[in-house]
Amino acid sequence: MQRLYDSVEPRVMDEHMLKLAVEEQGPQEEAGPLARQEGILFKDVLSLRLDFQNILHIDSLWQFENLRKLQLDNNIIEKIEGLEHLVHLVWLDLSFNNIEAIEGLDTLVNLEDLSLFNNRISKIDSLDALVKLQVLSLGNNQIGNMMNIIYLRRFKALRTLSLSGNPIAESEDYKMFICAYLPDLGYLDFRRIDDHMKDLARSKHQYSIDGLKQQEHLTQARLDDERARQEELKKHKVAFVEHLNGSFLFDSMYAEDVEGNKLAYLPGVGELLQAYKDKFVIICLNIFEYGLKQQEKRKLELDTFNECIQEAIQENQEQGKRRIAKFEEKHLLSLNAIREQSNLTNIEIKIVEYGEDITELFNVLMTLEMHLVEQLEETINMFERNITDLVALFIENVQSLMAQCRDLENHHHEKLLEISINTLERIVKGELNEDLPDDVRALFVDKDTIVNAVGASHDIHLLKIDNREDELVTRTNSWCTHLVDTIHKDEIMRNRRRVKEINQYIDHMQNELDNLECSDVID
Amino acid sequence: MEVLKEKVEEEEEAEREEAAERGEKVMRPVEMRREEPPMTQEMLRDLEKKLSEIEIVIPEQPSIITRDTFDISKLPLSYQSNTLKEEHLLQVADNFARQYSHLCPDRVPLFLHPLNECEVPKFVSTTIRPTLMPYPELYNWDSCAQFVSDFLSMVPLPDPLQPPSHLYSSTTVLKHQKGNCFDFSTLLCSLLIGAGYDAYCINGYGSRDLCQMDLTRDVCPLTMKHKEVVQEEEKVPPKKYAIKPPRDLSSRFEQEQEMKKQQEIKAEEEKRRKEEEQRLLEVEKAKIDPLHGLRVHAWVLVLSGKREVPESFFIDPFTGRSYSTQHDHFLGIESLWNHKNYWVNMQDCWNGCKDLVFDLGDPVRWEYLLLGTDKAHLSMAEDEEDGMNDDEDVENLGKEDEDKSFDMPSSWVEKIEISPEVFETRCPNGKKVIQYKRAKLEKWAPYLNSNGLVCRLTTYEDLECTKTLEIKEWYQNREDMLELKHINKSTGLNIDYFKPGHPQALRVHSYKSMQPEMDRVMEFYETARVDGLIKREETPKTMTEYYQGRTDFLSYRHVDFGERVKKLALNSAESNPRPMVKITERFSRNPEKPADEDVAERVFLIPEERIRLCYHCWDDRITASKREFLRHTEVDSKGNKIIMTPDMCIGFEVEPMEHTKKLLYQYEAMMKLKNEEKLSRHQAWESELEVLEILKLREEEEEVHTLTISIYDAKRNEKSKEYREAMERVMHEEHLRQVEAQLDYLAPFLAQLPPGEKLTRWQAMRVKDECLSDFKQRLIDKANLIQARFEKETQELQKKQQWYQENQVTLTAEVEDWYLSYCSQAMFRIRILEQRLHRHKELAPLKYLALEEKLHKDPRLVEFLKVFV
Repeated sequence: MQRLYDSVEPRVMDEHMLKLAVEEQGPQEEAGPLARQEGILFKDVLSLRLDFQNILHIDSLWQFENLRKLQLDNNIIEKIEGLEHLVHLVWLDLSFNNIEAIEGLDTLVNLEDLSLFNNRISKIDSLDALVKLQVLSLGNNQIGNMMNIIYLRRFKALRTLSLSGNPIAESEDYKMFICAYLPDLGYLDFRRIDDHMKDLARSKHQYSIDGLKQQEHLTQARLDDERARQEELKKHKVAFVEHLNGSFLFDSMYAEDVEGNKLAYLPGVGELLQAYKDKFVIICLNIFEYGLKQQEKRKLELDTFNECIQEAIQENQEQGKRRIAKFEEKHLLSLNAIREQSNLTNIEIKIVEYGEDITELFNVLMTLEMHLVEQLEETINMFERNITDLVALFIENVQSLMAQCRDLENHHHEKLLEISINTLERIVKGELNEDLPDDVRALFVDKDTIVNAVGASHDIHLLKIDNREDELVTRTNSWCTHLVDTIHKDEIMRNRRRVKEINQYIDHMQNELDNLECSDVID
Repeated sequence: MEVLKEKVEEEEEAEREEAAERGEKVMRPVEMRREEPPMTQEMLRDLEKKLSEIEIVIPEQPSIITRDTFDISKLPLSYQSNTLKEEHLLQVADNFARQYSHLCPDRVPLFLHPLNECEVPKFVSTTIRPTLMPYPELYNWDSCAQFVSDFLSMVPLPDPLQPPSHLYSSTTVLKHQKGNCFDFSTLLCSLLIGAGYDAYCINGYGSRDLCQMDLTRDVCPLTMKHKEVVQEEEKVPPKKYAIKPPRDLSSRFEQEQEMKKQQEIKAEEEKRRKEEEQRLLEVEKAKIDPLHGLRVHAWVLVLSGKREVPESFFIDPFTGRSYSTQHDHFLGIESLWNHKNYWVNMQDCWNGCKDLVFDLGDPVRWEYLLLGTDKAHLSMAEDEEDGMNDDEDVENLGKEDEDKSFDMPSSWVEKIEISPEVFETRCPNGKKVIQYKRAKLEKWAPYLNSNGLVCRLTTYEDLECTKTLEIKEWYQNREDMLELKHINKSTGLNIDYFKPGHPQALRVHSYKSMQPEMDRVMEFYETARVDGLIKREETPKTMTEYYQGRTDFLSYRHVDFGERVKKLALNSAESNPRPMVKITERFSRNPEKPADEDVAERVFLIPEERIRLCYHCWDDRITASKREFLRHTEVDSKGNKIIMTPDMCIGFEVEPMEHTKKLLYQYEAMMKLKNEEKLSRHQAWESELEVLEILKLREEEEEVHTLTISIYDAKRNEKSKEYREAMERVMHEEHLRQVEAQLDYLAPFLAQLPPGEKLTRWQAMRVKDECLSDFKQRLIDKANLIQARFEKETQELQKKQQWYQENQVTLTAEVEDWYLSYCSQAMFRIRILEQRLHRHKELAPLKYLALEEKLHKDPRLVEFLKVFV
């Protein structure tokens, strides 16, 4: 097919072109002049057609934030670009262009209908973000590999696919293959796939599909597992006791401890280490469980608090609404009365009365709000006290448990030192007949060395324990402060908003009244 | 025995005194009437005599079932005579009665063996025939009692102070659908025992209302309002963080004063109300019954234990109502019995039945007739210590010469049978009327009334039942699903209730007149309607509709109508709808839309050309957006139409947005609203039309009132009956055809041959030929016959024609008519004959060939003919 663009100058997508298109496609008939008079903002445009414009580069579209439908067919576009900002796009037509690769669509997560008909695409990819894709048109392209179909399996919503005019469509097995690998597909090349065809295809490719399914299933299961683990960890993190439900801490103590590992070769240290580990892990588990329990408690506390606050606010709002509804009822009546009155003095009296009503409403609403603020403040303070107490208790108990850990470590250290010194003595006396690795033996040159080595190991362990404790305490405290801050801030925000709302409403009412007065004066 | 007699004599003295006391106590109600010092036996008897004389005032109703109304000879033998065992039982009973009257001479004789319809004495227990009926409705006591009370019509006792002399079997009672309280009780008891209840017949004393089945002092159970169970709302314990209420600054003293005042007013009112009630009660109180406590009545006792009955209770068989055993209506018990045994009450009845203990195993309280047939001695243990010695006197009477192992003979009554037709008709002639206090209840059998009426309750304002207050009518099996019609006479309000299935999904229709555009409320089954309409209320000037579950979230529409514009006379009312002045529509929250785009209320002020919108409120807001459009179009100074100006749309926005300020947006919104206004008007108009349609439909339904018949109702369902009959006919024909098919066409020819011999080939050939030729002959004969008839008919016609032509001039019109009709008939006959002949000619060869083929295949000839062919 010989295109005509050779003879025509490519055009640039500029403001002017877009404006023209928008105006041309904007409101018609009576609304037309209105629209022209006011001008149409690009961000209000929902659909835009730019076909047969000889566009080479997609450009200047960033203003169309809310665009749902974009037609760029029958141009000479060579590269998909400049569409990143059109995140609401549902319908994209890029058919009859010169595109060679699918790209630049990663932000268009809402896209449902994509047409790339009659282009030069040879490979289906880079569509991962388009999870809602339903219709994909890729006819008259240069897709030659059947494996491209398997890529399309990830689009669960895909129902319509067209691939005719591609090299793969020549293949004898083309239809069967697609039906087998995309069983949810309803239409292929604009024809309905009947159930009989699907059955045939399925039975034909049964074996390979089963394999594929199995694989997908495994991947999915792995993903699920990973997600579940992540979630569990997240839960533990919220309770500030992650990695305490096992020997993680203990292992990390020995991970960087070179001397400690060396000393483990000494006779008797192995059993000692094992006993130490067991005890240590038990304490860790205690901390872990205690942490979870405390977390539950805190959550319950927070939930109750939120619920109560919500209830209070709700009730207050209801009261406010009732007041306003009552006022509005009266308002309608009095407005009508004022309008109907012909006597000027009467009108004035009415207007004054009405003004008073407005002021009264304002006062009532503000009083309600002030009441609520007072009540909430009290409650929030109470909650703050309670939650701080809870956190303090939690920290205290964890610290005491951590102290147990430290005691254990100290105890272990003493034992180890004793064994080390004994060993040293035996080595000096030459009584030791067991084999020791050279680097371990190197430690036993004199007493200072060995004591230093054991001390270093001990220090590392203590440091690890301290670090963990510090982390826990800091995080807990920061969580607590953050929570309280947020609550206070939220309450302040709420109050501001409500006051603003009331003022706005009252202003509006007052304005209306003033307008009435003005018009009366004019009359 | 000697010893015992002595003992009896010894204690006779004491006994008599005791009995006197007891008798006095039994008669206590009589005494209550007259405050007199303790009466002696004679005085009592005198009194009784006097009273029985007074009693003549009550018209004596002769037993309606007289002997000649039924033929006793058709009854089974057991009805007409006693078996040996029954004779024995009667002797035992006589003995028992003798001893009883000896020991308790002041008590009335026992009701033991009244005569049955064949004048044969039968023991009462054997008259009870426990039967379980095949109707599930009769499985529970309440429906069972209701059935008995509906089924039989009540006949008062011939002598209200004495048990009847006759007690008929349930068979006879059911046949006549009439009976006295003893018949009622016996039947009900039989059914209840059959259904597994622990039920007993009681012979005792009842109040006048009870004995005469007088419910005029009872409130009708249907009019009683269900007491609304006020559910105590669960007090939620105040939550930890519940906010404190604002300080209460009002004066407590003032509140208290106010409260006091309120209470005083309330007390005053209460007092007045009570007085009023008292007064009413006085008026309603019945006249004092001179025979109070002496009227004999029979009813049924159901003891707890069996069939999960938690507490013992009485059933009055006349009304089918249950009473507690402490009820005022029951004044005393003489004896009670079931199908196995007979007990005499030995307890005092001075306080009615209130103090009676229904522990039949207790021989002190209940003297049994037969030993050890039923009822273990339940609470013997507690009575053992206090009354071992005074047990002796009464416990052993009548049992010394009685065979210890003697048990009750089985019932002489046939199994109770009620046919489905009679069961459905229920009441005698399918109709029953009960008079209650200020109410009348009428019942009919289903399908008896052509409009499906089954029950009508009329409530009156006064005790004399002259001023009707309201009427409630229950219907069944109506095609328009009408279930209940409630007519309030005082307000003129009619309320119709419908079951699901009305063509217009109507549920309730309350109205004062069937004229359109009047006060009415229609409620609908909203799930059956496409538009989700629940309720439509109308007044002469407004119409309000309530919706539920619509996709456009419309929940309410209110239309105000103006005065109808007067038009030229040629316009009928239908084409001149009332102008709508105002349409108010309310919508529930659409969770998918933001609150300030979700309209909550929409008001179209049509003459003012104004549209008012009110939006929903955000969850955390107290004010809602509003917008008001002026719809009217103006022309500016140059004559151009002004499409939109800023002052045509005034609004208040909670969160001011940029795009809503734009004229284009407002213009589009207004265009949309214009369309919607049109739509709303159209819908309101359609609603009006629908009302008219429903009213028309209702009127038609009222007029036609067809009843539906279940497809399972084989008796009434004409269609199924026809179908069934058609099926039977088809079956019958099929059968005939089969018989025909089995006709042996060879039989007459084979019969000519010697029997039992095998056919030779020659014989077979001959048989075949004969058969064929015979058939041929028959075909020819038939053709000839038709031909002959045809010719005869033609000749006759010709003759007639000739005669007509000759006499044409002289004929009267009558004769001419006759002639013409004859001609046409004759022509018809000729044509038919012609056709038949023709057909016969066509079919005859085929038939012949068919027979030949059949003969070829005949198993008896086949072997010979095969060779031949």
